[in-house]
Amino acid sequence: MSNAPLPPPNAEVVETVCQFCIVGCGYRVYKWPVGKDGGPGPDQNAIGADLREQQGPEGDWISPNMHAVVKDKAGAFNVAIVPDKSCSVNSGLASVRGGGLAQTLYSPDRGTKARLGMPQLREGDGFADAEWDETVDLGARVIKAVIDRWGPDAVGMKFFDHGGGGGGFENNWAVGRFFFEGVGTRTASIHNRPAYNSEVHAAGDAGLAPLTNAYIDAQLADTILIVGANPYETQTNYFLNHMIPNLNGDSLDLKRSTFPGEPAAPGRMIIMDPRRTISVATAEAAAGKENVLHLQIEPGTDIAVMNAIARTVLERRWHDVAFIKERAEWQTFEAYQRSSLGSDRDAATVVTEAAALADILEADIYKAAEWIAKPKSGGVRRRTLFHYEKGLIWGVKNYENIASIVDLGLLTGNVGKPGTGISRLGGHQEAYVRPPYPGGRPALNVDEAARRGEAKVFWVGGCNPVLTTLRAEAVEANLIERGAPVSKAIAETVGKPIGERVAAIVEALKAGGMFILAQDLYMTATARHAHMVLPAAQWGEMNLTSINGERRLRLYPRFMDPPGEAEPDWAIMGKFARRLNQLYQDDNNPLMANKFLDFDWRGDEDVFIDARYSYKGDGNDPMEGYAGITYGLLRDLGNNGIQTPVRLVNRVPVGTVRLFEDGRFGTPSGKARFIPAPRPWPGYAAAVERQRKTYRFWINNGRVNHIWQTSYHHRHIDFYRERYPVPMLEMHPDDAEELGIAPGDVLQVSNDMGSVEAMAYPTDSVKRNHAFMLFGQPRGAAGDLVTDHVDPKTTIPYYKGAWADIRRKGAKPAEFEMASFLPRNVVE
Amino acid sequence: MTGVNRRDFIKTGAAGLAAATVASVAPPTSASQTTNYPAIDVAALDTLEPGAEVAFEYPDASAPSVLLRLREAVPGGVGPGKDIVAYSLLCTHKGCSVNFLSERQMLVCPCHWSSFDPAKKGRLIIGQASQSLPMIELEVRGGMVRAVGMDGLIYGRHTNIL
Repeated sequence: MSNAPLPPPNAEVVETVCQFCIVGCGYRVYKWPVGKDGGPGPDQNAIGADLREQQGPEGDWISPNMHAVVKDKAGAFNVAIVPDKSCSVNSGLASVRGGGLAQTLYSPDRGTKARLGMPQLREGDGFADAEWDETVDLGARVIKAVIDRWGPDAVGMKFFDHGGGGGGFENNWAVGRFFFEGVGTRTASIHNRPAYNSEVHAAGDAGLAPLTNAYIDAQLADTILIVGANPYETQTNYFLNHMIPNLNGDSLDLKRSTFPGEPAAPGRMIIMDPRRTISVATAEAAAGKENVLHLQIEPGTDIAVMNAIARTVLERRWHDVAFIKERAEWQTFEAYQRSSLGSDRDAATVVTEAAALADILEADIYKAAEWIAKPKSGGVRRRTLFHYEKGLIWGVKNYENIASIVDLGLLTGNVGKPGTGISRLGGHQEAYVRPPYPGGRPALNVDEAARRGEAKVFWVGGCNPVLTTLRAEAVEANLIERGAPVSKAIAETVGKPIGERVAAIVEALKAGGMFILAQDLYMTATARHAHMVLPAAQWGEMNLTSINGERRLRLYPRFMDPPGEAEPDWAIMGKFARRLNQLYQDDNNPLMANKFLDFDWRGDEDVFIDARYSYKGDGNDPMEGYAGITYGLLRDLGNNGIQTPVRLVNRVPVGTVRLFEDGRFGTPSGKARFIPAPRPWPGYAAAVERQRKTYRFWINNGRVNHIWQTSYHHRHIDFYRERYPVPMLEMHPDDAEELGIAPGDVLQVSNDMGSVEAMAYPTDSVKRNHAFMLFGQPRGAAGDLVTDHVDPKTTIPYYKGAWADIRRKGAKPAEFEMASFLPRNVVE
Repeated sequence: MTGVNRRDFIKTGAAGLAAATVASVAPPTSASQTTNYPAIDVAALDTLEPGAEVAFEYPDASAPSVLLRLREAVPGGVGPGKDIVAYSLLCTHKGCSVNFLSERQMLVCPCHWSSFDPAKKGRLIIGQASQSLPMIELEVRGGMVRAVGMDGLIYGRHTNIL
């Protein structure tokens, strides 16, 4: 493509937020009819740029991938989606994902023609288009029969629980109400995991929220600690627009004006990651190598290193005594010293042991402690910002892992002040509204319930567990096995009255079958095993609201129609609830009928208001709240939105830049709690240790910057698919040479859980005997290799903890020819 | 495991390898508007030693570009070794000028570190650009390497010819 049409001055303009990662960059959508393009003069186009001349750096420019022709009910339109300079999150920067937003929109002429436009009912090995009414009627009758015979827990679900594309307040609330208030099931799980639970229970127990700081704190911090995350690739513009200006000194003036009289210097960064990622390389390029500390640890040892750093801080008396005394429960601090920090032993020994375990230098542990907590000149406390993500969350022991960073943050008093915070970096955006989960803690393991046949219905919405859950091969085999008798019952009753069809399905369920519904944008790997597939609307096809990684709440407006008869998830849940209400009324069961009342929202704002009010009311919850927010207000606030919690002050909604500035935490005492772990390092669980001893390579896995999640959109767009046609697997060049593996060779990666293929990507980013595989891909699911072990305290898996053998399966195929194998972590 | 049908296995081996020739990924006879582009002499072929890097402007004086002689035959390469390529130097992320790291054979932008592979028609290796680096179409005539067209839109323009 060697040109991009320009929007005319009268193009429709919508401010919106990217559908992809947690950062939630602001974008502007321009929409105009085909054939009505604008011109290059500044008064001839809607972006106001003078494109008669070459633009300078940071100029106004629409790249070809920022433009697409889309199909609307009213015809074909041009859409251009460009980064918004006035949004404080990204200040006009696009990421590789956001720069291609236009390509994700529906068109019958591009890859997105694969979108689902009609409900589908199983017919033999395939599907047939169906009407909404007959689909909903059949599905609701099966669900009712299952509730009536086996109870609500026999209805299992795995649904998105997030903001951004495919989520938002509206859809989360409707789904939650349907399953928790309507059905009343505990057999619920969140898109990426086997249960319905927090990934950071330890942070909650400490009295903290997952997202405590504002992005500007990354410009103000003296030191930023990043554990188990790779922000250049996966929290891109938080890193580029807020962390890098700190590392390269651009934010010095801001520091001086914010903290008058306080020593100020360009920031330092500590990255704890088993890989030398591009985040390490770019941090070094910005700050100088001497200001970046990369702790290249062995898998699962981050917790030991964190506790050794904390022990050093304590030993040198750099901890924040005033904070601990005034803001924390003192007895938890004492327990933390005894257990997590091993205070019965010599501090130097604790450091020596942690360094040996993690295969890093002892000196680097001491250096990390200095950078985190050694007071600045004049005895001024350092401001350190603590960030962590999946490397820690999905680590060796979820609860103790999170406790280790939370405790280190509390020990040094780094929360509730500018330039500090103890936060997840986040993966996807958030929309926390759900009625309470009816189950207890630890939450019920839904993958297990489905395997044991306890789930008679399994409804999967906006996620693809066949690619992403742990022990994924077994999960898929179970869907096939339990789905088969139901498929047979459906096939044998084609054309029969609905009562007979439902009765036949129930007989199949009695015989061990499972009725599977999938609700999604595309016919996913999981949906292919369903009996009923429901077409959902996506970002831009409905109004939705979400928060980003600094709790910035914004409206993502609808600007085009969904394809065919696809509907927003909230509307689909409403259809099923209304049908169930009627079926229970017909059955003279008002108790059950009433559980499905009040699902007749007139539009998305109705759902939003219902959600935000029912969830937190207009009260004063210190952790979250959305008092007084309407779509109208959010429209006025545009891409800078408002940071939650939002409270009414003199009836005016007022946001919250950072949490806990009043020193009160989310515990009954209002004081933060240290979370003591039984020991400085928990060790590997038995199933994991067995793999570790049997197989040579540690198969770390996660995202890359080109590909969002399971590639559900990106596999349909050439620019992204050509880069990673199948999941790449990074391995050390010496290991590759030893095994006769060249760049681009096809690999077979196998262990006792399963076997997957991958594309060899030799790189010194990983240590010897380590590998890193792109996770959750349609043509190679790293989850196939992961054991079904979960932290018994939280039901969170050790997704990052798989060991397997790697062998060369074959030479580089033609379809990898345009995939580059140059280093992904070299910038100068 | 029987019945697992989601995996579209990767085709490997001799057939795949045989198909993976440079010719199979050569540009489809040009999506670009070759007829509108000027033809400009960039360098004499016999002056281009391996590793050569020649700065020039194309298609006009405000479009900094670079000609590179790489280490091996590449898609879209010209010359006897099919190893001569040329690209716009303006990063397709925010328009900074990319640098050629000759030891690594990669083009890297110093502003936000997008990197591009000159052996893969300017494909993004890693980074935040939303398209490949525009590739300049070359031909060899009378011992001269000439720029004759472009594939991809130059940063900061709505059309390559202003």
